[in-house]
Formats: sequence, structure tokens, C-alpha cells
Amino acid sequence: MLQKREKVLLLRTFQGRTLRIVREHYLRPSVPCNSPLCPQPAACRNDGKLLSSDVTHYVIPDWKIVQDYLEILEFPELKGIIFMQTACQAVQHQRGRRQYNKLRNLLKDARHDCILFANEFQQYCYLPRERGESLEKWQTRSIYNAAVWYYHHCQDRMPIVMVTEDEEAIQQYGSETEGVFVISFKNYLDNFWLDLKAAHELYDSILQSRRERENESQESHGKEYPEHLPLEVLEAGIKSGRYIQGVLNVNKHRAQIEAFVRLQGASSKDSGLVSDILIHGMKARNRSIHGDVVVVELLPKNEWKGRTAALCENDSDDKASGESPSEPMPTGRVVGILQKNWRDYVVTFPSKEEVQSQGKNAQKILVTPWDYRIPKIRISTQQAEALQDFRVVVRIDSWESTSVYPNGHFVRVLGRIGDLEGEIATILVENSISVVPFSEAQMCEMPVNTPENPWKVNPEEERERRDLRKTHLVFSIDPKGCEDVDDTLSVRTLNNGNLELGVHIADVTHFVAPNSYIDIEARTRATTYYLADRRYDMLPSILSADLCSLLGGVDRYAVSVMWELDKTSYEIKKVWYGRTIIRSAYKLFYEAAQELLNGNVNIVDDIPELRDLDEKSRQAKLEELVWAIGKLTDIARHVRAKRDGCGALELEGVEVRIQLDDKKNIHDLIPKQPLEVHETVAECMILANHWVAKEIWESFPHQALLRQHPPPHQEFFSELRECAKAKGFIIDTRSNKTLADSLDNANDPNDPIVNRLLRYMATQAMSNALYFSTGSCAEEEFHHYGLALDKYTHFTSPIRRYSDIIVHRLLMAAISKDKKMEIKENLFSNKDLEELCRHINNRNRAAQHAQKQSTELFQCMYFKDKDPETEERCISDGVIYSIRTNGVLVFIPRFGIKGAAYLKNKDGLVISCGPDSRSEWKSGSLQRFQNKITSTTTEGESVTFHLFDHVTVRISVQASRCHSDTISLEIISNKPYMIPDTELVHQSSLLLKSDLVKEVTRSVEEAQLAQEVKVNIIQEDYQKYCQTKGRSLYILLEEIRDLALLDVSNSYEI
Amino acid sequence: MAGLELLSDQGYRVDGRRAGELRKIQARMGVFAQADGSAYIEQGNTKALAVIRGSRARALPDRALVNCQYSSATFSTGERKRRPHGDRKSFEMGLQLRQTFEAAILTQLHPRSQIDIYVQVLQADGGTYAACVNAAMLAVLDAGIPMQDFVCACSAGFVDGTALADLSHVEEAAGGPQLALALLPASGQIALLEMDARLHEDHLEQVLEAAARAARDVHTLLDRVVRQH
Repeated sequence: MLQKREKVLLLRTFQGRTLRIVREHYLRPSVPCNSPLCPQPAACRNDGKLLSSDVTHYVIPDWKIVQDYLEILEFPELKGIIFMQTACQAVQHQRGRRQYNKLRNLLKDARHDCILFANEFQQYCYLPRERGESLEKWQTRSIYNAAVWYYHHCQDRMPIVMVTEDEEAIQQYGSETEGVFVISFKNYLDNFWLDLKAAHELYDSILQSRRERENESQESHGKEYPEHLPLEVLEAGIKSGRYIQGVLNVNKHRAQIEAFVRLQGASSKDSGLVSDILIHGMKARNRSIHGDVVVVELLPKNEWKGRTAALCENDSDDKASGESPSEPMPTGRVVGILQKNWRDYVVTFPSKEEVQSQGKNAQKILVTPWDYRIPKIRISTQQAEALQDFRVVVRIDSWESTSVYPNGHFVRVLGRIGDLEGEIATILVENSISVVPFSEAQMCEMPVNTPENPWKVNPEEERERRDLRKTHLVFSIDPKGCEDVDDTLSVRTLNNGNLELGVHIADVTHFVAPNSYIDIEARTRATTYYLADRRYDMLPSILSADLCSLLGGVDRYAVSVMWELDKTSYEIKKVWYGRTIIRSAYKLFYEAAQELLNGNVNIVDDIPELRDLDEKSRQAKLEELVWAIGKLTDIARHVRAKRDGCGALELEGVEVRIQLDDKKNIHDLIPKQPLEVHETVAECMILANHWVAKEIWESFPHQALLRQHPPPHQEFFSELRECAKAKGFIIDTRSNKTLADSLDNANDPNDPIVNRLLRYMATQAMSNALYFSTGSCAEEEFHHYGLALDKYTHFTSPIRRYSDIIVHRLLMAAISKDKKMEIKENLFSNKDLEELCRHINNRNRAAQHAQKQSTELFQCMYFKDKDPETEERCISDGVIYSIRTNGVLVFIPRFGIKGAAYLKNKDGLVISCGPDSRSEWKSGSLQRFQNKITSTTTEGESVTFHLFDHVTVRISVQASRCHSDTISLEIISNKPYMIPDTELVHQSSLLLKSDLVKEVTRSVEEAQLAQEVKVNIIQEDYQKYCQTKGRSLYILLEEIRDLALLDVSNSYEI
Repeated sequence: MAGLELLSDQGYRVDGRRAGELRKIQARMGVFAQADGSAYIEQGNTKALAVIRGSRARALPDRALVNCQYSSATFSTGERKRRPHGDRKSFEMGLQLRQTFEAAILTQLHPRSQIDIYVQVLQADGGTYAACVNAAMLAVLDAGIPMQDFVCACSAGFVDGTALADLSHVEEAAGGPQLALALLPASGQIALLEMDARLHEDHLEQVLEAAARAARDVHTLLDRVVRQH
């Protein structure tokens, strides 16, 4: 069946000799053509993705086109693309792995209409390379030949366009075969995709940057950077310990000078280095960009430098302020880059004046990235003037050793600078979040639920699922007004007197089949993104707000975990997992549930389900519900207490306590103390997550998705301990229990903020909780430090987290495995799951960044219109929580803002406070101590700021054209801000955060309406479904905690 | 560029085969009239020659002594080799062959005799052990020495969760796990099993299965050769 051919290759060995290698090459009569027009699909074995049948032609790009213009081929508008194997191999060999992987992902992506045709393994398509024929010519010839064969294979029914940049090929093959057209890419875009502006622009910009590069390589420049070492040398160096491998992190605040390399993997153990390695200056950084995996060589000890502890603004000039840096730390220089992590960057063109000063070379323009950590990028475009006021996306193409800046090309426009939509788009792109509306193909997979055609329970499902509609009293407890309910609870007494506790989670996996379009989309998004004013859903709203939402009074599918508990000791006797049908009887909100728990029955009027009943049945139903809530609370209390009693680290551990505390801060607006019902629900969810984690791990020890929270490094706690000591508290950080206890004790009765800040510092010191695959790490590492559980996962929010969907599938597979049934779900192997976990963790991090950045954006927009000199609101009370050499870091509880305040200004003047405690700038000097900083003027006056001192600060916005605006703080008095009526302002401040968002949104909307622009749809959605950000306390807590754990901006301030 | 893609997303290997497909096998028996038995085999680009000599010289009282000598030609690999004879590798290969054939030949039928098997690899392109076993087996058959059964050998490797049968030199050089299996196809007994590099025990069965299936395929092909002879 196979035909054997031989291929002679001449390879160059590493020593420089040529080596003659004979490789076999097997040809076969049929390879999958993946075309719906194929006359013999059986012979071709077309499985997997087919080209769509509604295209007018197929397009076959030449190898050169694939290499250079892959980005254009990535446009979803271009359909029916056939990548020839020859072209793919050319990419692999000449463009390296990064681009090849991009191509591979494109081919794997079911949403993209393109296929690979393995022409070199096809008997009739393969052409041996002739003697003396250049590689390029042969590649073009092969691709053309394959195109012709493909055309005939489809029985001449589909015209084929081959696009190439090779003029000769166009001449030679242009009219050789009817139906196979050979044209240039430019020509192709002009003829077929004239409307696709973006593609044309991208084409021009790529072409231009390529030309520039060619020109440049001809010019002989002086070298700006040393060359990178070849890969073999790097690998050998890493093995021998001479070089060190790590990820480059640029210091946001001193992007020009300081970067750190965080060690990776084994190299950190061998070299005995604890801290990161400092990379000082752009030269030493040697063309690596933030996020790259680099190889570093350590410098000799006498060249080591210290990091700067002073606060400084993001000025590009080197500040030789003569401040003594801290003690020297390991310093190195980059000798090579193992993996480039280039992504799309948002940039701003220089303003007109700056362009003129750049002068002579108007073709090439240096643009400034939005992210401080990215160096300026040189791009060549003629549109510079038109794009002046816009945020623009660019990509980096290359960075030669002869060039100070990297070369890039322009991709697309996001929006105007300062415009809300543009800025939000910027945040999304910077975090690599892509949220296009759900496509038609994806929506087609969704079930229908309209008044004319209501969704019904399928009788087949009814047979297979356990029916809890009649037997169980199921209810949900959520915040007011929430519409996407993914968890419900139930409790009842069994015949033998034991209790049965049930947690019922929305059965999302029933609607989302593995590898369906919607599944792929959800996997890509990985989570629902919450920005300050809007939400980007992971699943379409038909699922998230309707069919998967466990609303009251309707039949819904669910996945349930039910425990049988002993009637008195609440010991867990049995556990049952499975699919069920439920009908939630009540959709309660927290406050109502709490009232019921307290025995306050008047609240009954607020429960719509009970309102319309007659007195008698209402009384009966109410009693039933009150009993259930009471029992539930009792169980939750017991479950927790028992764990405490066992002497082990109790369940809620640090995490929940800290969360609760944070919760108190941020949402002072809800009652003063968190309700017990909150904890009850959270406890039940944690219990369910824990048991599901155990179950899936037992069934699939090597491929279960769990969540770990590694214990923190003790050295990170040192700052916390120091700070606490300043206030006279002792923090014991040896274990999570001691930490929690000592944090509880560290409470200053006069100043509740101290405790909050200490807790904030504790969270700062901890590492992030992460998803992982059980096959990839040892069992001891599964531990969840915060919750003090040996195994934990996420199971309870499948509507907004993809990890939960995976866990649901695993649980279903585990159930069928237990029943010795065939496992229907195709599970991920350990390797795939590991990669998926990495992706989800990544996306979660991006979601947190985006949320944080959008909040900051709103804060800035809020304060932007206010005049800091006159506006009352811009002056507020702040607490010092960290001391630096030239300033202090201040936390403003009222707005939740953290920021730096300088004690020494740019002219070298220091702050001083007169007898009326008003501050002024005078000449003098600063002196920094462990927990205080003293500013002394030349006249001898001095003022000292201690840690945790209250000061009055003025908030103003520092506008920036190229970057996001920042809030800047100025200390105007060393006394706490006096508020006339504390209570009153306290009340008003509570509403401020949501108010702030609303106010900004409103003003933007007004502006938009004025321009007769449509009010954005997402906004409407937001109001329509009125989905709150955190629907249950538990989720809210998780979010807040995550946010606190990952306060990115602070990671390198120290 | 780091590493070739041994198995593409479409399921093709570097040389165009699919995961379970063998290379082209051609064989001839009775190449030299002078020898007691001889055979020549080509498995893809791996080419091996085997010659059998029987004698009554040194003797064990109850069974025949099997002696194997392996050598590879200086020109067999891409780069020139320094030492053609007597290196450790050849010695080890000889021992492996000996083990394999002691298991397959009914030695007790020829007491006090010695069977010499000489195998020469003319061109090496992966799977030399398998080619040697197959060539020697044909030569033994040619010599008319009674055997329990055919011995068929084939190698298998493991890449990205898939077992590949009959590795070529490129695939071997990539350094993944590699398994050589000599099988008595009729009884399904294993005459020799050798494994390089580490492989997780969960995957072993899969790789073993692939190698066994490939060895059976080899058997079918060689059987055809023998019947033609």
C-alpha cells in the first residue's frame, strides 16, 4: 500500500562538517483531504474538522505567505484555507517554534475554517526535489502541484486560488490549469476581501516592517547589544550551573533600570540562591522583554548592586539622586532568551510636538506601550498622524542586536485616549482577554427557551436522574436580585431518624458537551470576567441566567452531593453523588434567611413564594422552611466545631477569616457583621468541594483537577512581623492556625484599621491558590493552606468557572466508574490537564488584573473632574502602612485606595508641618528608621511619621497620555482628617464605591448619547439580568481574597 | 529549532508512516551457497546479512551451543565509525541474539554441536536488533535447523501518548523510550524484551502491544518470504 521513496539530505553537523543522510519517505494513495466535496470520503478517511461547504473558493497560501502573513490568515473572515504540509514545514524550519505553534493551534481550532493537507505523503502530490533546484522553487512547485491535484480530487467543482509572492510562479503557473488561479496576496485581498479593512491595514504594516528590516540588515550598524548565545551553549550552561534560567520581571516603577529574574525549576536549588537576580540597565537586559524566559549569567560579586528603596515616579530619566541603595544582591546579565513571550501590546503614538522633535525619520516612529514594563517599540507607518489620539495595538516582530528598540508593526485601533470604551478595550488587550460576542455556531448549540417554545424536562433524563422534586425541600440563598443561581441546599430527616444534607449544583455539563463550540469557547475564556462596571460571561446568558440557573419554582437539572448525617453527632455516615432533577422551592436572600433564623417571622411578606398562600398553608410551609434553615445552620456549626475539636487546623482557617474581614471592609454597606447564614452557605459549599475533591482523586489519581494553596514562605512574613511589633503585637506565623489566632488577637480597640492592614499584609505574603492536575505533583503538595484541607477543588460554580465544568465531568466519570459502567466523558490526560490548569490559572490572574485595573480606571475618572484644591471629597483620611526612604505608602479606607505619598518633592524640598499641622515644602532632609520617618527642615523644625499614623491626604489625578492615569496623594496634614459628623460620612462613604462606578458610567453614557452613539449593549445586559458580581457570599469572598492576594503593583515596590 | 516533530497532529510520522505502520520489508533466503544457511533482509533502510555455520567442534553433552557474532560495517552509519570490530556494543548485541535464539532453537536435538550465527549490518537506520533477529531467523530456517517457532522482532517507541512501531533512526535519535521485542508469534511467547530510557508503567502495556502487533505483521511478511523460497 505504501510506496517507498528515498530522500537524500545534506545536513550540517554542529562541528561544521556536512553529513549525508538518507531518509525514507513513504507515500500513500490517499491522505485525508477534509473537504466536504470529496468523492470518496471513506477512502480519504476524513475525520475531524472539515472545510465548510459554503465557501466560493478554496485558498492555498504559498509557503512564503504562511511565513510572513500568518496573522492575516488568522482572520476568522477568511474561510476555506488549505495549508499544505510543505508550507507548514517551511514555517517550522525557518520561523521557529513560536510561529509554528500558532499555526498548529489555528489548525486545531474548530472555529477557524482551515485544514492541513499532507501533500508530501500523497502519492500523486509528492514531487521529488530535482538536482540543483533551490529549496524555495521546489516548495512553490510542490504546493502548486498539490493544489492542482486537490482541484481535480474535488472533481473540479471548487475553484482554487493559490496566493504567492513569487512573481515567477505567477507568470509560470498563472494560466496553466483552469480553475486553479495563482495570484499575489495583495491581489487576492483586493479582489476577494475589499471590505476587510483590517486585513488590508495589517498587510501594509507587515509589508512595511519587512522592508524596513531588510534595509536595516543591509546597513551596517554598530552593535547595541551583545549577541545571544546559541541554544546548545545555553542548555549546557544551565546544566553545568554556569547560567541560571528564570522569568524576567521588569520593575514597573523603574522600568528602564531594574528588572528581576525569578528563578525557575531546578536551577534555584543548585545555585543556592534564595532571592531573585537583579538585572541592572537595558544593556544587561539584552533585548529581553517582561515575561520572557531568559538565561542569566551572574556577575562577579564586586559588581553587584542593590535595589532602590526610594519611591519614584515613572520618569524615564535615570535618577541619580544620590540615595544609598540597599545592600547588594545577586546581579547578572542576560545571555540568551529561551522563550519569548511576546503578545499584543497597546501603544500610543507620540503627540505632534514629539514627532517633530524626532524629526528626520518620519517613517519610523517610536511608540510608547501602555505597560510601563515594555520598552518603546519602533514601527513604520504612514498613518502616524491619523492615529495620534488613539490607543493602538502593535506586535513586536524582531529585535536585532544592532537596534536600540524592537521593531514592530501596527495591527489595529482600539479607541480614543481617555474614552471609557477605549480604555476598557486597552485593559482587555493588555491582559490578553478576548471577548467577542458568542457566534452563531455557538448559539446554535444552545437549547431554546422562549414563551412559544418553552424548555421542558426530557423524559429520558427524567428516568436516569434521581427525582428530588417531590421528596426534598430545596432552596437557594443568595444576595438580593441575583438571577444566576448555581447552588441550592436541602436538608431533611430520613426514615431512620438520620439527617440528609444536600448541595445541588447547576448541571452545566448537561448543556455543554465536551469539545462542542461552546465548550471550546468557555475553555478559552476559562472564567467570567468582572470589570468594575460590566461583566463578560463565560457562557451565553441563555444558560447562565436561565436554563442553568436554579431558579425558584421551575424544574432544573442538577448535580447533587448528599450526605447522610447521624441525627445527634452529625457524623457523616454515607455520601451520594449523582445527577438529579430539582425544583427549588424558595429563592431566599441572605437578610431574609437570617431573619427567619432569628425567629423573626414578619419577614414573610418579603418572600414571594409565600405571599399568595392562605394563612394556614403558609404557616405550615413557613415552619418547614424555618426548621430547614435552622437545621442547616446547626449542621454547619457542628461541622466546623468538630474540626476545631479534632485539634486539627479548622476548616475555615485563615482564608475565611481573612475574607470575612475583608468583606467587612469593602462591604460595610451590608449589615455591620456578616450574617451567620453567609457562613452556613459557605461552609456547605466548602464541604461539597472537599468531598468532590476526594471522590475524583480516588477515582482518577493521575488526572483529577484539584486546587492547592501552598504554604507561604516564612521570610515573606518578616515585614508583617516587624509592623505588628511596632504596634506591640506578636504575630506567630509558624502555621495557619497560629497565624489566624495571632491575627485575631492583634486588634487595636482604638483603630480597627490596624487589624485590617495587618491582615492585608498577611494575605500579601501568601502565595496564590492554584489549580493543578493530580498526576503532576506529589500527594503532600495537594494541601490547601488557607482552608486547612488535604484536598480541595472547585465544584460549586460551573456557570462562571471552567474548572468547575471539568470537575463536574470528572465526577460524572467517577460515578460511572464506580458503577462499572462505561465512561462516556472523554477525560483529559494528565499532560493535557496540566496544560489546561496552567491556562485557567493564567486566565484567572488576567481576570484579577483586569478587574483591578478597571477599578483604578474608574477611580481616576471619578477624581479627574474634581478640582483637588476645592472639592471636599478629594481630601480624606489615610493610614501609613509602609515606610520608604523618600516617602510613605498610604491606605485610604474611604475609597479603598493605596498609594504613595512623597515626603520629598522633585526639587529636593521636604515636608514640614507647622503648629497648625498644615504642611509646607521646605528645604531639609529626611531620615528613615525601622518604623518611622523624620523630616527635618534646615530651620530645625522636624516632623515624624510613624507606621499606622493617620494623616490627611489630598487625592488628585496624575494624567498620563501613554499610560493609564494614576492617583497621586499628597499629605496636607499630619493629623487625622477631621470629619464633622463621623456617623454621617461613614454612611455616605459606604455607597461610594458603587456610586463611583455609576457616576462615571452615567457621564460616559451621556456623552455617548450626545454623539448619538448606541448605548453599549453589555451595559443593558448588565441591567437586564441584574446579576451581581458575587452572587453568594462564598464567591464574593473568593474574589476579594484573590484580589488581595494578587496586588500586582505592590510586588516590587519594596 | 529544538527537536523534530516526530508525530504530527494529523498522525503522520517524519517519514510519512502512521503510528502502527512498518517500514518496507524485503528479504531473501539462501544468499550464499557456501554457507549452511544465509539470508538478507532490508527493513526500510536498515540492511542486514546473516550466515549460519554448524559444526561439531566444541560441545555440550546435552544440547547444542549457540554462538552469535554481530558486527556492523564501517560504512553503515552516516558518520564514519572508528572501530569496526570488538566494541562493547557489538558484544552486547551478540549476547542478546544468543539469548533470543537459545530460546527459539530446539537445542536439545543437536547435542555436542555448535551453531554459529554471524550477523553483519550493512546499513543502520534504526531497529538494528530487530533486523538482525529477523535475518538470523531466516538464515536458521534456511539451514534447516529445527526451531520451536518463528522468532520475529520489532521495535516500538513512545511519543506524545502514542506508541510508534518500528522506529527509524531519526525517531531513535530523539531519545525517547524505545523497546525491542522478539516474539514467538504462534505461542505469543516473548523470547527477548529490552527497553531503553524510562517509561511510565501505565504506558508499558500500550507500547508492548504495539511492538507485539508489529512483530506479528513481520511474521506474516517473513512467512511469505519463506514460502516463496
